[in-house]
Formats: sequence, C-alpha cells, structure tokens
Amino acid sequence: MSVTRRDFLIGSAALAAGASVSAPFFLPKYHSDRRPRRSRVAVLHVERYSQQIDQILAEGLRLFPINVRGKAVVLKPNLVDYLPGNAINTHPLLVLAAAESFRRVGARSVVVAEGPGHQRDTQLVLSQSGYQESLRDEKIRFVDLNRDELIRAPLRASYTGMRDLWLPRTVLEADYLVSMPKIKAHHWSGVTLSMKNMFGVVPGARYGWPKNILHWKGIQESILDLCATVPIHFVIADGIVAMEGNGPLNGTSRHFGKIVLADDPIAADATCARLMGFDPRRIVHIREGARFLGNAAPGYIDQVAENVAAPASPFRVVPEFLNLYAR
Amino acid sequence: MTNGHRVLSDLQAELIRRQLPSGGWAALLSSPQSALEPTCYSVLAFGPRSAPVLEHAQDFLLRGQNANGSWPVFSGDDRDGSWVTSLVAIALRDLVPAIPARLKGFVWLLRTAGEESNWLWKWKFRTVDRHVRFDPDKYGWPWVPDTVSWVVPTSFAILALKQLPCTCGGLERIPLRIDCGVQMLLDRACPGGGWNAGNGVVYGEPVAPHADDTSVALIALSDRAQDPVVRAGVEYLERVASSLSAPWSLAWAILALAAHHRPIASLQTSLAALPDLGKTEDTSTLALICLALDHQHALAAFGVTV
Repeated sequence: MSVTRRDFLIGSAALAAGASVSAPFFLPKYHSDRRPRRSRVAVLHVERYSQQIDQILAEGLRLFPINVRGKAVVLKPNLVDYLPGNAINTHPLLVLAAAESFRRVGARSVVVAEGPGHQRDTQLVLSQSGYQESLRDEKIRFVDLNRDELIRAPLRASYTGMRDLWLPRTVLEADYLVSMPKIKAHHWSGVTLSMKNMFGVVPGARYGWPKNILHWKGIQESILDLCATVPIHFVIADGIVAMEGNGPLNGTSRHFGKIVLADDPIAADATCARLMGFDPRRIVHIREGARFLGNAAPGYIDQVAENVAAPASPFRVVPEFLNLYAR
Repeated sequence: MTNGHRVLSDLQAELIRRQLPSGGWAALLSSPQSALEPTCYSVLAFGPRSAPVLEHAQDFLLRGQNANGSWPVFSGDDRDGSWVTSLVAIALRDLVPAIPARLKGFVWLLRTAGEESNWLWKWKFRTVDRHVRFDPDKYGWPWVPDTVSWVVPTSFAILALKQLPCTCGGLERIPLRIDCGVQMLLDRACPGGGWNAGNGVVYGEPVAPHADDTSVALIALSDRAQDPVVRAGVEYLERVASSLSAPWSLAWAILALAAHHRPIASLQTSLAALPDLGKTEDTSTLALICLALDHQHALAAFGVTV
C-alpha cells in the first residue's frame, strides 16, 4: 500500500485529533455567554395524548412570563421518519396545542418547521405521522427546512471548526423559536432533547440525508455550534410516550407521562436527563452548553409544577452510553 | 385525453409559471432562490418540446458550473461542489454545446469519492467504528465532499457516468468506479429488501427502507435485474407502492418499477388522482410527477431502456 502526501497529512491530522480527543472541551469555544441569571422549568404530568393537551399546555405556559405578541413563532418538532408503533416523532396533538396557545397569546404568525433527517420525502412523513391533515385543518403553515431558502450563517461557537453553515431563512428570521423534541435515548448522542433536535434545521438539500457532515464534524460539537447560532427561546418536550434503547428510530416506546416546558434549553435538557435517570454532567453537550448557553445546575433552575425525580428504572441506552447513569 | 395527460399538461404549465427570471427553479414555491435539483427535474420533465423554457434553464445550468467542474446545490452556494453534479450532467445530456461542461463534470465525479475510500477511514470503520454494518472497500459518492458515500448520490453518479459514450482522455477509470459504486449499493441494502439513505443495519438492528431511496437505487441498477439484492428491492417496492400517500415517493416508485418492467398503470392513475397536485409546494415533486406520468421519456433521460 502506497501512502501519498495527502494520506500522510490526513493521518497526522487524525493522530493529532486523536491525541486531543479526551480534552476537546477544556477551552471555551463560544463567542458570548448567554446564560440567564435563573431559568424556569415545568414538568407536567400528562397521562396520554388527547384533546385535553390543549388545556394542559395552555395552563403550563401560564407558569412562564411569555411575551410573543406580534412575533413570528416557529415551532420545531422532532419529525425524523415514520415507523408504525415507534415513538419517533413529537406527537402532532402537542404541536397543534402549542400553535393554538401561541396564537391565543398574540403571536403574529405561527409556523411549524422541520427538516427530517432520515426521510427525504417530507410530505410522506407528514402524512404518515398524522401531521398533514391536522395542520391543514387548523390552517397552520408547514415549512420544509430541508428545502427552504438558505442564508449563510456565521457560527457563534467553534466546537466543530466550521466557520459557517447554510441555514433556512424561516429559522434565522424567527422571532421566537420553540424546540419541541421527543424525549429519546439516542445511539450517537446519548439523548435527543431540545438541543439535539436542532439538527433538523440543517438543510438536507444542501448537506444530504442523513446530515452526515454533522457526524463528521462531531455530533456533540455540532449540537453546541448549532445551539449557539440558532437560539432556542422555549422548549416543549414530548415525553408522554418516550423512547429508550436504540433511538432515534429503533428504540423501544416507553410510557413516561410527562411534558417538560422550559425557557432555557440547557435547563430543559438537564431536567429531562435527570427524569430519564441520567446525570446531565455526563452528557457532553449539556455539560458544555451549561458554560455559555443556559443553566444545568438545579440551584439555578426554578422548578414549577411537578418535582424532578429519577425514575424507578432509568431509560435503557446502547452500551456506549452506560456511563450516563446517575449514581 | 386521459386524466393522466390532463394532469401532466397542467403541471407542466405550472412549472412554466414557477420558472424564475434566472432560468432556474426554486426548491419551494415560497422561495426566490434558484436551486439545481428542481431545475434538473424540470428540464427533464419538459424534454425537447418546450424550447424557450428549456434554453433558459440550460443556460442557467451552464452558467452555474463551478471552476472545478462540479455544480453547486443552489445559486450563491459555496463552490466546492455537490451531488447535483450528476443530475446536471443527466439534464444536459442532449445539449451539444454542453459537452465540454459535462466532461468537466465527469472528471470531477471521477475525482470525488466517499471518505471511506481513504485507507485511514477504512481502518477506522473496520476497527473502532463498527456500529453501522457496511464494507468500506465498496464506496461510491457523497452528498458533499469530505463525507462518506450514500445511496442517492451514488445512484445518480452511476446513472450519469453510464451516459458517457467513451472512457478515454483521462476517464479510463470510470468503469471501475461505476462497478465499485454498484457494489456499494448492493452492500448497503436493507436486510429485508430495499434501501434507505445507506444505513441498512445499525447496532445490529435492521433499519427500515424508504420507497424513494429504493427507487433511485433500482433505476441505477436496472441492468442488474437478476441480482438477488435487486430482486428483493423490487419486491419491497411492489409491496409498498400502492400504499404510498405522497407524490414524491409514488412518482419515484413508478419510474423504478417501470425500469424493472413491472406494471405501473394503476399507480399512474393513483398518482394523477391525488388532490391539489398543482399546489404542491415542492417543485422537485411537481417535476417528478410529470416524469412519472411520462415514464418512457423520463427513463430514456436516465439512460434506461424499457
């Protein structure tokens, strides 16, 4: 086997990267500290998906001083693919309830926007997962972020080493972005919560399906760069039926009975991680995000509604993430 | 005039209305940004019949070529190239003045490969990163440079490179690359038949196929109909085609099943009967419906004889 100069350079770079793999997060790589002084999280008990979600969510949102009057609100659910019986996607009833709530409190516009990461046929995912009909009936516009108009966005953190990404206009021009993840264990990132949910804003038409460049640049690093660049203003996490094990697609559905609301994505994800039985300090993007994007420590989080308690049995994960369990 | 012909004619008229002043088409009706994928499908959807529309579009494509021979995803994109290079080479196949541009595109395709073609990444995928089951010796083309091979860009690259009349003048390696790409597609199939983006098995568990990815792969493998992996893909597609509720996947399924000599008349009828096709926000889907309703012309454009 002959080794070219290019191979040698790549090899050297890989060795250097390997040597630093245990310490990629020692130095701050963010441009500004956006942490609020305090964050607020509400854990709501919701037994099942029903028409009552509308009222439950409206009451939950009243626990927060939300002001979206005159603002363009973008709801970003987790809509990846459709497999019958698998709890992959944020339930459409929760998204409809959120749209109705934000309209009711004076939002100028509410759109649902997502760029599925596995399935190129967005309309098929919408149709199979029950979104298409619901959105049409409620006259809610959907924007396919995989194909939206693109704007070059300089990244506001440098964990991946990328200087910029092409991102959808709908997301960059949103006044108020609501991340609505499905609470899941994830085989590459440990968990998929409000921060990981932002992978969906990266356009497939530009970067491909799956959004492989984010994997090559580092999943944890990409999550941090994205969340630094596209601020999440609010989180509504769907954990009524969650997923454990080999998520995001092939895991096992788990009835969890919770919706988590938060005005800070780090606080939301740290709380969800605790509810799942994980130590959020062991999830790299939450730990590092707590240095500049929000608050992970309970002392900085005002907990309202239900208390946060670890489950009797923690969420199952793939072997690589057994270290996430709180001890 | 059948309903299919009427729908085809209406959708072609809608495509003409959506053509941007640049000569290209945007991915979404709401976007003013010319994008190359919908432009290529639209060019193919018209064929040689609509001269002014086509000339404007072909001119847009020729003007958009990058200095390195590739094409970008959209106007204003970075200039390092993308998977749509294959699609543009197919869309410009009948245009004599485009021959030099296409040759530059073929050279770029020949130079471009999934990162697993590099010995270092091969080693990584064989030793420390084995959660996705695949053979890194079998590689194709990525969506964008510096990432691994995936099913859709590899399929389109195979279709484009097969259209080259000769493999001389620096293009001698093309048959080898095509064969490697074909082997990669066969390797990445889902265990139960069909393809998704390219992850057939992850963490030891099979991942479900997608109708559109399966269809694109089957069109690229239309000359391998006897291969058991291809046969399993066709069987999967036949099973799911009639239940596809979205026009993009259904249109691709029609083209793939036609390429494999399967009956498609009832699927074409179902496609033409879907409601509000003209209001479809996604322009690529609109053009694909036209291609599926005129499948012989479409498959000829992809270099597939039926």
